[in-house]
Amino acid sequence: MKELEKTKNISIAAVITILLVIIALLAYKKPKHLYAINTKQALKQIVENPPIQLNNYNPKTAILIDIRNQYEYEKGHIENAINIHSSDILDDANSIFFKKLKEDNKSIVLYGNEPSEAISASMILHQLGYSNVKILAVNNSLNQDKLITTPVEIEKKGENINQFIKASIKKVNELSDVQIKPKPIKVIPKKVIPIKKKKKMPTEGGC
Amino acid sequence: MKTKKLIAPRYLFLSAILIILAGGLVLIPKFEKHEGISPELLLSNAISPERYISTDELADRYISRDPTILLIDVRDESSFNENTLPNSVNIPLNKLLDENFDAYLNQTAYDVILFSNDSFKANQAWILCNRLGYKNLHVLKGGINEWFSTIINPKEPTENMPKTAFELYSFRKAASMYFGVMYEDQLKIAVPKKTKTTPKLVIPIKKKKKIPTEGGC
Amino acid sequence: MGPLIPNGVIPYEWNNILAILIGIAFGFVLESSGFSSSRKLAGVFYGYDFAVLKVFFTAAVVASIGLYYMDYLGYISVGELYVQPTYLWGAIIGGAVMGVGFVAAGFCPGTAITSVAIGKIDAMVYIVGIMIGVFIFSEFYTLFQPLYEGSYLGNITVVDYFGVNPYIFIFCLTIVALLAFFFTDMIRKKVKKVFY
Repeated sequence: MKELEKTKNISIAAVITILLVIIALLAYKKPKHLYAINTKQALKQIVENPPIQLNNYNPKTAILIDIRNQYEYEKGHIENAINIHSSDILDDANSIFFKKLKEDNKSIVLYGNEPSEAISASMILHQLGYSNVKILAVNNSLNQDKLITTPVEIEKKGENINQFIKASIKKVNELSDVQIKPKPIKVIPKKVIPIKKKKKMPTEGGC
Repeated sequence: MKTKKLIAPRYLFLSAILIILAGGLVLIPKFEKHEGISPELLLSNAISPERYISTDELADRYISRDPTILLIDVRDESSFNENTLPNSVNIPLNKLLDENFDAYLNQTAYDVILFSNDSFKANQAWILCNRLGYKNLHVLKGGINEWFSTIINPKEPTENMPKTAFELYSFRKAASMYFGVMYEDQLKIAVPKKTKTTPKLVIPIKKKKKIPTEGGC
Repeated sequence: MGPLIPNGVIPYEWNNILAILIGIAFGFVLESSGFSSSRKLAGVFYGYDFAVLKVFFTAAVVASIGLYYMDYLGYISVGELYVQPTYLWGAIIGGAVMGVGFVAAGFCPGTAITSVAIGKIDAMVYIVGIMIGVFIFSEFYTLFQPLYEGSYLGNITVVDYFGVNPYIFIFCLTIVALLAFFFTDMIRKKVKKVFY
């Protein structure tokens, strides 16, 4: 039987397969950081946890972290704040530090020049499982080498655009005898993207 | 043994390999799969200011009737009804990951611009979507409040300001007129019809190089 | 990381080039393992040679085990792989028709083309037969359409459909494959040897 001669090749192929598996297992590194929560949970948590205001901040149970860079930090920072630049929050030393804070039940309060700046750091820590991360709702600015910290209201409702436009038209019309009608804005037709029903994959399906 | 005669040893060996490998699959410890891109990549995406689009750039794209922009308001429904940017779609932040809105966020045809009152909620939405690997998402810097103070109600520059400030102002003023705001000085010029050519501010629109996202999962 | 092309690790333009290269390799392996012989292929049905069954079953098992290992280690994500849509009755009847053609001619479409490449006349006739079949199907498409597009189940896999744990499913599949090899080998030994 000729077939049997080929079994040598089969054995070689089998050994190569095993080697490949072993190499893949050896080359595999467990990722350093793993998300503790999925995006849906994260979304729920961030909606439920608004930034804290400066007067609610209790220095006994919380640690302030300045996520701006070192230069800005040295120019002026809130008292007792620790400087961890937002690009360094996943460093080993900082991870250990955050873990310890979590174990001590202390909350981590981040601030930057404005609340938006601290979002990236806080949300990533949040998704890694540090549910004790908060953002301090403050604006920081330097005035003559002194840090001015002012509390801000996040997502503050500004002036109503439509009313402003109407008011401006009214004002102009009052001044003139000729009534000028506002020019309608040419609007591109609203985009409606058809909702494609996507195949629902069971949780097994990777990413 | 009987099987030894039946099966050649090398076949036994091969089937043993298969069984061991398949059994290994069953026995290996399972851990929760990463959803989306790795935290390290997410961090480097999140701290880069590349996602921001300025109000001037947005106004310019509005006026040139760019068909590729898709505005998404991530505030709640009541504030959306009260006032919003023209031609925008409302996806409240707490419903961001609903399946219905997937088609708006996870696509490549439009440049999606997320906005809220300031850039706080929009940023949160952006980071979540970025973790899921959605592309072409941007955040309107400063949100509606910034839009109001720069485009709808621009501040007139004082005499001692540089020329560029005046050019910017006239661009913004023209933009605000486009969006329906009227000015008193419009009355005088309104007679010969708007022939006043407002020097159009050319806003350098960064052409983003499309880099295929490497790594990921 | 993977799938390589959808995730942009390999540019999309390489799609066809890679397909051709993989196709050449596949054809080479088919020919070198003697699959361009119609007697070897028909042997599965007469019971004197089960090489085809062994090869394709082993390929399926090895590929699924390998894929799930790579998925586990994060080199590829199984959820992103393309799954062919399932049209249940179309697949069953089409499979039966193809089986008849298979046993009658001793070729499956892939091996027929490798046989044409080495100049077998029966394979050329077989290819002409395929063309006639394609012609009939497209001419009478309206007739076949309800069957062709009916009983659509979506892009599902067995694992999705029954909701079983894929790891256990693969393990069972491996066991079934090995048992099948064992029993087919028993049958092969009982059947009178055919030399070809």
